[in-house]
Amino acid sequence: MNKKKKSIFISIIGDEKRQSFTIPVLAILIGLIVGGIIIAITGSNPFKAYYNILQGCGLAKKPSYGGKKGMITDFMEFVNYVTPMILAALSFAVSMKAGLFNIGISGQMMAAGFISTILVGYSELNAFVARPLVVLIGFIVGALVGGLVGYLKYQFNINEVVSTIMINYIFRYIITFFINTYYVDPVSRQSVLINPSARLSLLKVRVGDYKMTIPLGFIVAILAVVIIYILMEKTKTGFEIKAVGLSRNAAKYSGINVGKNIILAMVISGGLAGLAGVTYHLGYVGSIQPNTLISTGFDSIAVSLLGNNNPFGIILSSFFISGLDAGSTYMTSSSGVEFEIAKVISGVILVFSACSSYIKLIVNRKRDEIVAANTVKEERS
Amino acid sequence: MSEYIVEMKNITKRFPGIVANSDVSISIKKGEIFALLGENGAGKSTLMSMLFGMYEPDEGEIYIRGEKVQITSPNKATELNIGMVHQHFKLVSNYTITENIIMGTEPVKKILGIPVVDIKRANEEVAELSKKYGLDVNPTDVISDIPVSTQQRVEILKMLYREAEILIFDEPTAVLTPQEINSLLDIIRGLRDGGKTIILITHKLDEIKQVADRCAILNRGKLIDILDVKDTPTKTMANLMVGREVSFTVDKSPANFGEEVLKVQNVTVINQNKLKLVEDASFTIHKGEIFAIAGVSGNGQVEIADAIAGTIPISSGNIYLKGKDITKESIKNRVESGIAYIPEDRHNCGLIMDFSLAEDLILKKHHKHPYSDKKGFLNASEISNHANLLIEREDIRSGQGEKTIVRSMSGGNQQKAIIAREIELNADLIIFVQPTRGLDIGAIENIRKKIIAERDAGKAILLISLELDEIMNCADTIAVIYNGKIQNIAPTHTLSVNEVGEYMMGVGHNE
Repeated sequence: MNKKKKSIFISIIGDEKRQSFTIPVLAILIGLIVGGIIIAITGSNPFKAYYNILQGCGLAKKPSYGGKKGMITDFMEFVNYVTPMILAALSFAVSMKAGLFNIGISGQMMAAGFISTILVGYSELNAFVARPLVVLIGFIVGALVGGLVGYLKYQFNINEVVSTIMINYIFRYIITFFINTYYVDPVSRQSVLINPSARLSLLKVRVGDYKMTIPLGFIVAILAVVIIYILMEKTKTGFEIKAVGLSRNAAKYSGINVGKNIILAMVISGGLAGLAGVTYHLGYVGSIQPNTLISTGFDSIAVSLLGNNNPFGIILSSFFISGLDAGSTYMTSSSGVEFEIAKVISGVILVFSACSSYIKLIVNRKRDEIVAANTVKEERS
Repeated sequence: MSEYIVEMKNITKRFPGIVANSDVSISIKKGEIFALLGENGAGKSTLMSMLFGMYEPDEGEIYIRGEKVQITSPNKATELNIGMVHQHFKLVSNYTITENIIMGTEPVKKILGIPVVDIKRANEEVAELSKKYGLDVNPTDVISDIPVSTQQRVEILKMLYREAEILIFDEPTAVLTPQEINSLLDIIRGLRDGGKTIILITHKLDEIKQVADRCAILNRGKLIDILDVKDTPTKTMANLMVGREVSFTVDKSPANFGEEVLKVQNVTVINQNKLKLVEDASFTIHKGEIFAIAGVSGNGQVEIADAIAGTIPISSGNIYLKGKDITKESIKNRVESGIAYIPEDRHNCGLIMDFSLAEDLILKKHHKHPYSDKKGFLNASEISNHANLLIEREDIRSGQGEKTIVRSMSGGNQQKAIIAREIELNADLIIFVQPTRGLDIGAIENIRKKIIAERDAGKAILLISLELDEIMNCADTIAVIYNGKIQNIAPTHTLSVNEVGEYMMGVGHNE
């Protein structure tokens, strides 16, 4: 690459502020290119495959649709699928702000989903009571689990990575036991479907000529994004959580209660994981598969990192990564590209976004040089 | 071949917004001790970083042994027999001295055809090298068990082991006690006598006076002069360095003590290993008094400050602020009731390095009006006004004003920010721990004046410092601590430097 091209590239990447956007985009582009090459090697047309993914997500028109189906119904289905991811990634981002690594999101999701299912999902409550109750119980259960992790960290200095992984196992097996013993549907081998009145996704709702899914959980997710953004950037509480996350010592010296903020951050993180759990188990799916920690909880870590742990960035990265997933089924049936390829692409993207600090380092070093060279020119002219 | 081993000709290096070195030319003879003198930010470290290959100059040329070279990386510098001891050591703390020294160039022997590190031979080599230059280290000691001064010797040995001929020392005495400084200077002389060329970056004039042959003075990136040290009075060097007259003693009016502010009563601090760090310390500080604790590093003085601020628990005793018992109060409540604290470790305890300057400047009062409202929302415009006020008043220099990430600021400006923040708290008691460590003469003078101004404004000041000069110059009352015990408390004018020094070494006599 010659000097001129280099400097154009560097100026596109931009300063620190712009980098939080341009570097994830760069990672995505590289991922798509690498994925495209792999698709081409397997003998398919990468552009067609990517177009299929868009079609699968309801972002482009398919050649034909079944009865009462259309782009919009595909898109709503996609939104339904994305919702838990946004909340789970947000949960991880909050823990990161406090310098903690919440890897127990899946367990927290399962616990919140299970408790809400047996308390509300199987009850005969009116929908207007049941749905808010599901959201509330989901948040509280998640928050309690998160709070426990925070307390263990603060009181006994137990590493949150260890405690959350262990708690994942504990919930997984306890909940599996209860489902298999009391709530199993003998046909599906999952917990019995919840009552529609408690479900956060409205199914087969007639809108015009279409019958579509309406994910009420998405409203919860968007509200959560806005609230978390305000909490973190505009309030005293966010200031303290970030201070604790960046330097526990300096925060302590300035009189900030470190323990309280660690616990608080984990309560919020767990609460959001709980919301992710209810929008998944009582929204997208409607039941709980025993003995399985769903992958959303783990994928959300990467999604949050790709979105720079920024609430709005997380919306974009959730749509993107989940989109690859959601559209891959249609890609497989239409182009014959194995759906694992979609996983490969998202894997490549996440690897590159994980390298973002390295890319930043290189870019900033080059940028300093260019700025310095320009100052020379200015001085001379 | 030229008589100079290192020649840097017309070196210019720019960083965004700053010209770090502008047309600097220096030539260093083989076998001399060449000092680089200048305030923080004068461009000494940048110049040497270019010689050590961490940066490349924008303009200018470097010649080593008469040959033009491009030093593109520290590895290249090592090939050219250039070594550097950084201000912050780069050692693996759970490895032995030898292991640290040989890392990357391990001597290898073959056992059954398999190459293994010949640690025995390495130990012998290190022992021999250490003996040759009077460095006196035990090759098998583990880094985490040895004092800072010995760690520094390990860094020196690391360079020697790589056959460095040109040794760069970046502020080597900043972390050492007075005794350790003397032995380091002896070592440096020994290295010169052994034929090495030494480049010493420092802003301590007396050290230059003691060891250096020649000295280059830098100010704001420009070379001011190169002087023969023995022909130049210290005062002249100081003035050239700062670019103005410097007064070495701080002007100070007689103290006017008011009522009692802080009372420390029989305080004992015991750490997790059951070690008594502070034993039965008692003293009082009044309004308008600068109470200094003198002592060699690690004798419990920092723990006294931490105990008063509440960041470590005390095992017994009581602390009273303005007559109120605060022994069991939280850190936050102590701040609220009037304690400002400038801690020793700026990077870990004083500042949140990845916060913006504006955010760091409101720490400790971020939860109060007008920076937060009753509902807990931050007031961005008040926070930014407050930052701009302090930046202007205290001349805190940074690349992007209030938005600058504190990590990217220079050490001197970081300290200015902490001091500005703490004084702005308007507390009755201000604790300064090592407030001028690592700063240049101009900044030191400024901070000392500020401490005295706060005293004159009726504050009680606790000053903890390892610099005896600072204590003798600023304090009204001096307490000397040794091994966790306060040896003696007396008004400054009744003590001589030597007496304080004796108490510091634990040999002070009780009258």
